[in-house]
Amino acid sequence: MPTTYPKCSPTEMQGLLVLLSGHKGSEDVALLADDLDLEIDEILPALDFASVLGLVRVKDGRATFTELGQRYLGDSIRERKSLLREQLKRTTLFRTLLRALESAPDHRLTDEQLTQLVSVTSATADEAVQNIVNWGRYTGLVRYDPEEHVLIAVRAPPSAPKPPAGSRPPPSAATPPPGGPAGGRKPPTRGPGQEPESPPLATVVA
Amino acid sequence: MSLIQVEHVDKSFAGRHGSISIMQDISFDVKDSDFLAIVGPSGCGKSTLMRLIQGLDRPSAGRILFRDAPVTSVCSKMAMVFQSFALFPWLTVAQNVGFGLEALGWAPDRIHNQVERYISVTGLDGFQEAYPRELSGGMRQRVGLARALAVEPAVLLMDEPFSALDPLTAEGLREEVLQLWRDPELPPEAVLLVSHNIEEAIQLADRILVLSRRPAHLLAQVPVDLPRPRDRKSSAFYELTDRVYSLITEGGAASPAASASQSDAAARQAL
Repeated sequence: MPTTYPKCSPTEMQGLLVLLSGHKGSEDVALLADDLDLEIDEILPALDFASVLGLVRVKDGRATFTELGQRYLGDSIRERKSLLREQLKRTTLFRTLLRALESAPDHRLTDEQLTQLVSVTSATADEAVQNIVNWGRYTGLVRYDPEEHVLIAVRAPPSAPKPPAGSRPPPSAATPPPGGPAGGRKPPTRGPGQEPESPPLATVVA
Repeated sequence: MSLIQVEHVDKSFAGRHGSISIMQDISFDVKDSDFLAIVGPSGCGKSTLMRLIQGLDRPSAGRILFRDAPVTSVCSKMAMVFQSFALFPWLTVAQNVGFGLEALGWAPDRIHNQVERYISVTGLDGFQEAYPRELSGGMRQRVGLARALAVEPAVLLMDEPFSALDPLTAEGLREEVLQLWRDPELPPEAVLLVSHNIEEAIQLADRILVLSRRPAHLLAQVPVDLPRPRDRKSSAFYELTDRVYSLITEGGAASPAASASQSDAAARQAL
């Protein structure tokens, strides 16, 4: 179970998929890394993401495309975004995030609220938050106001009133998963039977 | 059909001890639907050549034609993508992408639609109002790309466009550039890529122009006939890599006289 959030941009993950396709869709991770002279830390985050998003399967040190992963590379740039959007929506992290955005009073979350929600160790919180915001914006799942450092639900009106500085939403709104910022237990997920199509997507946080 | 004809181009600059010859007798054609790479040792003048082609500077001798007309000033049918992205930090992504169109005098409505189109095409949707500082390196270069494509250039000039990116991001973006180039409904027609990465050149281009050390000569034009996507570990790929390296390492300086006067000048400067 990763204790730090894998920091990886959508383009880096795409690079990994392109790399894998150059190895006919299945290759030892060591050889993939070797091809581009990558250190383990440079390839693992992309591999983690690709795996969590159901594009690649990793077993016994070997990475192989899933059908979805193959499809990704055949798609246009715009179609790929759609595909990523759908896959990202199914991760525990983004499900929690989008639910929190929905129930927040003005469909907005500050960076601080997002950090609490995401439940990473404080050492990587800032990076993790920025990375999550980036993925959300890239796939069109959320909007972001960089001046106010506020995450905004896509369907929130742009001129919605912002909460006064320092105020917190009522407890029933953006409920952080049990375990809190100190990390620990995974947030409750639905049982396997209720999501037959879902690939085995792990929580992408500690 | 030849989009660009480079004919016997020389370029020299005034130095402290006389004129310094950067390149000599460079001649080649760029056809529409070409993907050309220009490689050569550091400092051999690849970037200078790009500037000459675009019309940012003039050759000392010879000439450059675009669609049969001499290039005498900056050609609006070519657009450049830079290693350092060269975005305006005080402008949003949308404003950066539209910048070239404003310079061309387009009406605001038309600019808006064009910007939206190329933002979408390059995967920048959702970042229209973002500032460059919020973006990863890969996203910033996409802005550079969108800005270049928005003016619908016939030729896309790329000066080490992936060199400032980490290897995986570079790999991801290279593939996108290929996709965009191959799309018949999108600009550009031809791509000219300068790279110090020979493998990258072989991975992307149909033809590689190999330049020698300064004063640069065109050592060879190496065709790359491999089907894409290209397997870096195939023997054919390796042979090409080897061939390009051999050309560069054996190509050396031009004439003994030229290199002698240059080393004299360098020696005098050092004293």
